[in-house]
Amino acid sequence: MTTQTMPSGADGSPLAGEKLTPKYIRRSLLALSIDDPQLAQKAFASWADAVILDAAKRPDRNWQEDLKARMPAAIHAAARGGAEVFVRIERDTAVAELDATIFAGLSGVVLKGATGPDDVVTVSRRLSALEVARGIAGGSLEIDVEVNTPGAVWHSLEIARASPRFGVFLINEAELCRNLGMQASPTLDFDPLEYIKSQLITVATSVGGQALGMSYPLSLTEENANDDAVAKAVRRARDTGFKGAVCPHASWIKFCNEGFRPSSEEAAYYVKVIEVFAEGIKRGMASVPIDGKMIDVPVDVRAKLYLKWANRAQERDDEKARAHAKPGA
Amino acid sequence: MNNRVSRCAMFVTPTNPRFIDKAWTRGGDVYILDIEDSIAPAEKQRCRTLIRESIEKANKGGASIYVRINKPFVDADLPYAVWPGVDRIMLPKTESAADLRHAHEIILRLEKERGIPPNSIELSPMIESALGTMNIYELLTATPRKIYSQGGAGGYDMSVDLGIEMFADFDQYTFPVAYVALAAMSLDIEATGGVFIPNTSGRVDQSDQAAKQAAAFHAAHIHHAGALHPAFIQPLISGLTPTAEEVAWANKVVDAFDQLTDAGEAVGRLDGKVIDKYEYKLAKRTLDWAAACAAKDAYKARALSRAQAA
Repeated sequence: MTTQTMPSGADGSPLAGEKLTPKYIRRSLLALSIDDPQLAQKAFASWADAVILDAAKRPDRNWQEDLKARMPAAIHAAARGGAEVFVRIERDTAVAELDATIFAGLSGVVLKGATGPDDVVTVSRRLSALEVARGIAGGSLEIDVEVNTPGAVWHSLEIARASPRFGVFLINEAELCRNLGMQASPTLDFDPLEYIKSQLITVATSVGGQALGMSYPLSLTEENANDDAVAKAVRRARDTGFKGAVCPHASWIKFCNEGFRPSSEEAAYYVKVIEVFAEGIKRGMASVPIDGKMIDVPVDVRAKLYLKWANRAQERDDEKARAHAKPGA
Repeated sequence: MNNRVSRCAMFVTPTNPRFIDKAWTRGGDVYILDIEDSIAPAEKQRCRTLIRESIEKANKGGASIYVRINKPFVDADLPYAVWPGVDRIMLPKTESAADLRHAHEIILRLEKERGIPPNSIELSPMIESALGTMNIYELLTATPRKIYSQGGAGGYDMSVDLGIEMFADFDQYTFPVAYVALAAMSLDIEATGGVFIPNTSGRVDQSDQAAKQAAAFHAAHIHHAGALHPAFIQPLISGLTPTAEEVAWANKVVDAFDQLTDAGEAVGRLDGKVIDKYEYKLAKRTLDWAAACAAKDAYKARALSRAQAA
């Protein structure tokens, strides 16, 4: 970020060339099965920013026709509370699954099991055809990649660069551990995936995307944790660079929605940063201290970006509140 | 100029006489004349015009001189930054080989115009974004100029790019720091690496923090560090210089390994520790670095005496 591309202010629209930080307000994701009879109620009550639909392929019938018949209603049900809706597909059956599950109302797909860029290219091509065939805006469907294989980690940069549809890495830590030959255990005194997480965050950011994940040990803990532990874990995940997490327990969602955004205290501090820096600039100084901390151009830029981030998160919450308030919702 | 020794490279603002006029007395190995983020937009042009005289002011005590320019103003900054006496140009927020090649070509032209040996001024791409990190190998191989790899660490700009707070109590930059340093090492390019030292206060003026940083860097054989405040200078310089005990040990290792080699053996023991070719190389590196530090300190001492006598 430079002085030439500085945002005009915390409430201004992005200037040309300015990146949105983060790109998406997608703090909490909840996975639900389309076979769940309570899909609509669970999605609505969750207040998740996004719902990932899992569509089981029933072996006892023509699963593609079965899914085609049920997906539109499932998408509608999942979106009732204002969530974005994705469908999870497996790499090995990706094309057939896409044909069966892509309908209007989806924001994109979560591709699981990818091991290289070719998998993303294959999905992207099929999505292009399906967008035309099913009246969906061309290029609008996103490809998010659930990372659960060593290949996906090793080729993460090529995967992220494989298609402009790429949006997000979701880290499936339990499966990744197993596929790396490690026990998915929360009992170690260090995070065995620390480096990989940092890699995926860096790679995703380098293409303008983002990474979703939780901090250790909750990332590998099957049982739920108390509220305080979840709130702290979310904060650490955010400080690592994650912008949201898939929530194995619906109780995490409110902590993710509150934690994966600047808090009101942080926003108040950043307002002060912007004011103090602006005063410094008026005096011809581009480096001024607050309590011994140096405030210069990048700190000022971050303050403005963070206030925008806080505003965008609030707008997303308002959007979901409006969806909940709709008559018949 | 012994440019290689940069135990403490401190940023100074040419526009502030309080900083630039006193810099030579503070004992830094390197002063970075900043035209970038510590200079207000309205002061940039005045700052450019002060660079040439600031070189003379800041290097009176024997320090090397770097100039940090602005990425969006490379064409405007470089004619004011490339002068005899400048050892390195620091190019912030570098993200592509094209960024580097563009700067290199302008520097080359200015070197020729100003009687500076071609390609003698080093160029340092500062890695301050995720994209720069992922493109590091191509950046480091983009030009024939001597490159010094700077950053990839947890700087302010990197935290902005990743959308994270600074000053967490854990290492937020595990991958980018290692990736950038490894790329440089694979190319035999000197690099600034890093070891995470918590600084949750965010203060940049605490000498005990500098001492902790120096101890951690020294243990990891990282020789170079930066500073934003004079309080960091002496702790970094003393902490990143091999101690007399380390030099004595290194000499013993070299002697012992030479004797082993003469005896046709590859592995032996010295004071209970295994000595082999790796320990030998490490000892040679310690001695080499100690000699470079001593030469730099002697150079600075002579320069300081001259300046004080003047």
